[in-house]
Amino acid sequence: MKKRLLWSFCLGLALILFLSACSGSDEASGEGGSDDNGKEGDQVTLRMTWWGSQSRHDQTQEIIKKFEEENPDIKIDAEFTGFDGYFEKMAAQAAGNNLPDIMQQNFGEYLNQYADKGLLADLSEYVESGQINVEGVSETVMESGKKEGKLLGIPTGTNALTAFYNTDMLEEAGVEIPDENWTWDDYVATARKVHEETGEFGARLMEPKNLFEYYLREKGQKLFNEDGTALGYEDDQLLTDYFTMNKQLVDEGVAPGYDTIQQIKGVEDELIVHGKAPFDFRWSNQATALTSAAGDRNLEMTLLPGTNNTEGMYLKPAMLWSVSENSEHKEEAVRFIDFFTNNIEVYKIGGSDRGVPIKEDIRNQMADDLSETDKKVFDYIELVTENSSPIDSNFPPESSEVLAALEEVDELVMYGELSPEEGATQFREKATAILNR
Amino acid sequence: MLPKREEQATTTVPKVSPKPKHKQMEPLKPARRKVKKDNHNTTGYLFISPFLLGFFTLTIFPILYSLYLSFTDYDLMGTPSWIGLDNYVRMFTDDPTFWKSMKVTFFYAGIAVPIRLVFALLVAMALNKIVEMVGLYRTLLYLPSVVGGSIAVSIMWRQLFGNDGAVNSILGALGLPTHSWLGDPDTAIWTLIVLYGWQFGSSMLIFLAGLRNIPKTYYEASSVDGAGPVKQFFIITIPLLTPVILFNTIMQVIQGFMAFTPSFVVTNGGPVNSTLLYVLYMYQRAFEYFDMGYASAMAWVMLVIIAIFTALIFKSSPHWVHYESDNK
Repeated sequence: MKKRLLWSFCLGLALILFLSACSGSDEASGEGGSDDNGKEGDQVTLRMTWWGSQSRHDQTQEIIKKFEEENPDIKIDAEFTGFDGYFEKMAAQAAGNNLPDIMQQNFGEYLNQYADKGLLADLSEYVESGQINVEGVSETVMESGKKEGKLLGIPTGTNALTAFYNTDMLEEAGVEIPDENWTWDDYVATARKVHEETGEFGARLMEPKNLFEYYLREKGQKLFNEDGTALGYEDDQLLTDYFTMNKQLVDEGVAPGYDTIQQIKGVEDELIVHGKAPFDFRWSNQATALTSAAGDRNLEMTLLPGTNNTEGMYLKPAMLWSVSENSEHKEEAVRFIDFFTNNIEVYKIGGSDRGVPIKEDIRNQMADDLSETDKKVFDYIELVTENSSPIDSNFPPESSEVLAALEEVDELVMYGELSPEEGATQFREKATAILNR
Repeated sequence: MLPKREEQATTTVPKVSPKPKHKQMEPLKPARRKVKKDNHNTTGYLFISPFLLGFFTLTIFPILYSLYLSFTDYDLMGTPSWIGLDNYVRMFTDDPTFWKSMKVTFFYAGIAVPIRLVFALLVAMALNKIVEMVGLYRTLLYLPSVVGGSIAVSIMWRQLFGNDGAVNSILGALGLPTHSWLGDPDTAIWTLIVLYGWQFGSSMLIFLAGLRNIPKTYYEASSVDGAGPVKQFFIITIPLLTPVILFNTIMQVIQGFMAFTPSFVVTNGGPVNSTLLYVLYMYQRAFEYFDMGYASAMAWVMLVIIAIFTALIFKSSPHWVHYESDNK
């Protein structure tokens, strides 16, 4: 009796596992329903991956539909996730020699790492042959997709760090609206005043990964040295000052601590969106997501604070489109990238979600019917273009770990477990250990 | 009760089977048997071949491969390069985060596992007393474990203990001070421990089966001798339940050390690594820092730790586990 029970239990379990495995693969293979990733009749199936928010997922799928209408011989299987987990997933696919044909790639340590391993196809020949039309795109923009003379990605658009602020909140508190000439002291003073007047937070806790790098650049320093073998700044006082400024705001209750920040799981949860903080420093291409979540709150954009902010600010490719080296359909993949770069329809659907378009004639064509937010983003990028310095691209492959260490130390300091000085020393120790490995 | 049944089974089978054989042709038996035996083996292997195939390609091979990787520097994308014991040396001498995750995991397993076991036993005993609608209660109490490993429950947990979550709302409504449960490094790990304790269902079912197997006559006899319920619990229930306790303890210790989903989804290791469970750190090493060699080494260290714990529990079992069959 017992045995029979056990058997039926095992059988049942096996059946469940089997069925769930079936349904799983069903989902994975998508609408096409076939696994052979290649030709179906005369149609070529491309795999394409990106990260983003829900609005980007919707827009991109619409863009793909447009592309498929114009190119009936190509079918695109889309795989998309949030940024969390995207590169983990890609790493696993790379290990399995199974990278997608078209992948959304990130500038900096990610691109460098993929370049290092030779996982991405050199797109130069397609640009030369005109299969990807990048006429009139500025050299600096194209340069950001290059690594050791190989063109590994076509920028999807331009991006810059932005100080978003809520004018309603600032006016309510009776403080001056910041302009591009504001300093760190202005920022701290405004934040304090807003906190006193409204009782809400006066700032959002700064996220160290991008903002400390900006802080260093603004002081004329760099995060990594020329060849990416060590930290690029000598004086730990810089990081101490950075920590002290933030820690004071947290201690005074002007900025939220990590216990609040940790609850934010997407742009929709951000404090500025809910009128709980007047400032938010983040990438300009998130303006649409941010303003649409913020409803009727008035969000404006300006340069990050600092007397030297033209030194600190830089233009960054929002993302890049790359083609994997082992793709069997590079020609077709390239056609999609060309479509994305040159077809006005793409930007009618997506706006500036993947940054401000790299081609001037696209920008001009769009100018007439821009949404209000996109217009602000375009103007802002214009402003940054005039007030910025070239981006640093000397990120070593280990930099994701170094930046994770910075975040960890930042947490420890904000929780008060380390003093700002100790934090600065500890970060240097950790970074040096990682980079020397 | 259990051994008794087995005895019955073994005694009845020989009685029945030899009889017909005796009456039928005896000389053919040996030859036939041999052929049959061989056939049985191949057929048997054929029948389990789906399992064997999966076992060797999906279990044995990856296990051995990860052992190999643990001696290499492998970033997932390139080719692994042999570096000997470097990963292990670095782990034990030069990685404070490794020790932090180790500490967190021991704390977590050390508290969450006993909580779950005690809770499971208490609920099982309560269920054992209930006569009506046992099936319904059993199912309801078992549900958390069925959905327990899932992402959905972890997300629900995050909502419950969030700053604006249900727990704080209830506390606020009662006029009690609210707390940032997930944001405070001292309390975050406890939310995970409570989550682990809450999923007591499978241990409970096993306990319940064990309780059902204790003959009622023992209790009746002892109550005639004047033993109260507490005394009965300690002199009858616990000793007779020790084999089940042993089984549950081993299973739960293993599970406790391997916990991943709760810390990954609820807290993602934060705040300040206070919930960075070992397996989560291993995952981060492998897929966030592209350090697969090191992560493989970590996996093997965990294997050794779990093996040691299991061995210790087994070794100690003769001193506290009581098998009814020993007495007979």
